[in-house]
Amino acid sequence: MTPLTFGPAGRRLFGIFHAPATGLAPASAVLLCPPMGQELFRVQRFLRVLSDRLARAGVAVLRFDYHGTGDSPGDDEDGDMAGWQDDVAAAHAELRRRAGAVPVAWCGARLGATLAAAAAHAAAQGPQHLLMWDPVLDGGAYLRALREAHASVLIKSFCLPVSGLRRRLAAEPEAFAEGPLGYGMSETLRRQLRELAPYHVTLSPSHETTVMAMPCDMVAHAWAQALRAQDLPVGWVPFEHTWGWTEDQQRPGQATMVPAEPLQQLLQRLRAPAGAMHLTVDTTA
Amino acid sequence: MTETPVRFGPEATRLMGVLTTPDTVPSVPLACLLVNQGAGHRIGPARINVKLARRLARHGISSIRLDLAGLGDSDAPGGGLGYIEQGVADLQGAMNLVETMTGIRRFLHIGLCMGGVYGAVLGGQDARLAGLLMFDSFAFPGRRARLELALRRILGLSFNASLREKIANSLRGRFVARGGQIAEAPAPDDFVQRFRTAMTALAERSVPVFMLSSGSLHVADRRRDQLGALADESFAQNIEYHFDAALDHTLVTLESQRAFLDLACDWAQRVTQRAVAAPVSTLAAGRAGSRHVPALANC
Repeated sequence: MTPLTFGPAGRRLFGIFHAPATGLAPASAVLLCPPMGQELFRVQRFLRVLSDRLARAGVAVLRFDYHGTGDSPGDDEDGDMAGWQDDVAAAHAELRRRAGAVPVAWCGARLGATLAAAAAHAAAQGPQHLLMWDPVLDGGAYLRALREAHASVLIKSFCLPVSGLRRRLAAEPEAFAEGPLGYGMSETLRRQLRELAPYHVTLSPSHETTVMAMPCDMVAHAWAQALRAQDLPVGWVPFEHTWGWTEDQQRPGQATMVPAEPLQQLLQRLRAPAGAMHLTVDTTA
Repeated sequence: MTETPVRFGPEATRLMGVLTTPDTVPSVPLACLLVNQGAGHRIGPARINVKLARRLARHGISSIRLDLAGLGDSDAPGGGLGYIEQGVADLQGAMNLVETMTGIRRFLHIGLCMGGVYGAVLGGQDARLAGLLMFDSFAFPGRRARLELALRRILGLSFNASLREKIANSLRGRFVARGGQIAEAPAPDDFVQRFRTAMTALAERSVPVFMLSSGSLHVADRRRDQLGALADESFAQNIEYHFDAALDHTLVTLESQRAFLDLACDWAQRVTQRAVAAPVSTLAAGRAGSRHVPALANC
């Protein structure tokens, strides 16, 4: 495991490279594209463990923080979708530089999946496979969910009725939007998220795609179906899990940093060389 | 300012951190240890440790934010130590690294929640610690404060679904068989004793201690309520105490973060200025052996 900085001068990024633990040259490589904000904070340890397991299976892995997130330079408010897509491309170039000319898969979680799908259109010698876990396809709904989680966390944190929080949430469309769950968000990013709709998220035909989402996520399901109807190589995997992206589920025994079911699901789909990954895709839509 | 990711510690238990150094040589030979709460990784809730490190660097103060063993990007502990003792050993490893890389040999510790507990125990044992800020780390409310909190919660019960859920979960948890635990949780009396021992040692060395408490955990505070009966002990005079009802424990609001950053930076600056004003003989230990700061970027 090697911590590193990479990317162009003026936009350096923090990342961690996991060389194959086998000591051999990697047979394949995986780029992990994380979520943002509180979702990134919660999933960090999970991604570490996932990376370790993949490295043990002979896969080279790079995970990183977008500009203005995690340990990377930049302030919270510096984040924007276009810049983050460029960060995915920069991370891909760094992974290829370190892993060599091997098949590469990208695995994106939440907004990371959305960014990866967009970045794959332009990335030089891009991925052979894209795995999207609970992708954010409706930016307006995502922003609303973050704002609601913000109010919910505050109410639970104070363990007392915090007057006006719910009322403000209902009455003001922009309540808490400037820093949901404590992560500052620029007006530019908020506008980009509000404009994000499923029909804006397109996939490059140059890679296969697996969409892993909750069975109840009708937006993701319909989106994957629509793309399959366009003859794009998209698989849909309904995946029920109890992982809370923004907070624990508040049930005894369920609060965990590294949930087993998602770990097994992702390992199963990312261990194989990217070129052979289509064999593991469930195309049942 | 330069931020350098670092891996350090024994080969079997490598720890991960980020060292932040000012662009100019620090004006005072103190660096800050930033330790997160709970099981989250080094950036802290709402990235507060990143924001704090950068702000401290603007004031000439270096810092290292790190993952203790078994958390974030650090390896699992080798075993044999309790989790508090392991945390203290990890912090000493971080101090050794900072000394090697920057020559700085005296430290402040800013710990969120459990992070402050590690700092207190460290300070009781290691003379290199020159200042301690604990945010919601210890609380020993007496009967009146506990009754007041309970009453406020009871009054709010009918309006607060999350509180009802929390109580239900708590009751459910009592009747659900629990799995194995990785560490034996210290009993409350153990925490009292650890606190007393650490604060006594720090007071004897005149090490500044700042105890900061949030409104989200404690709701109200009248007379240093979180010190409870310990407020009458002599070491308590060495503790700068601050309660802020608007602060929330996980710094979820941007206002909370601004208030926390202001308080923490102001405190760190005051402590470092005091160190500058201290007799040369006191500072000599910190300056001895200091060497040129290496180029750190692009590891």
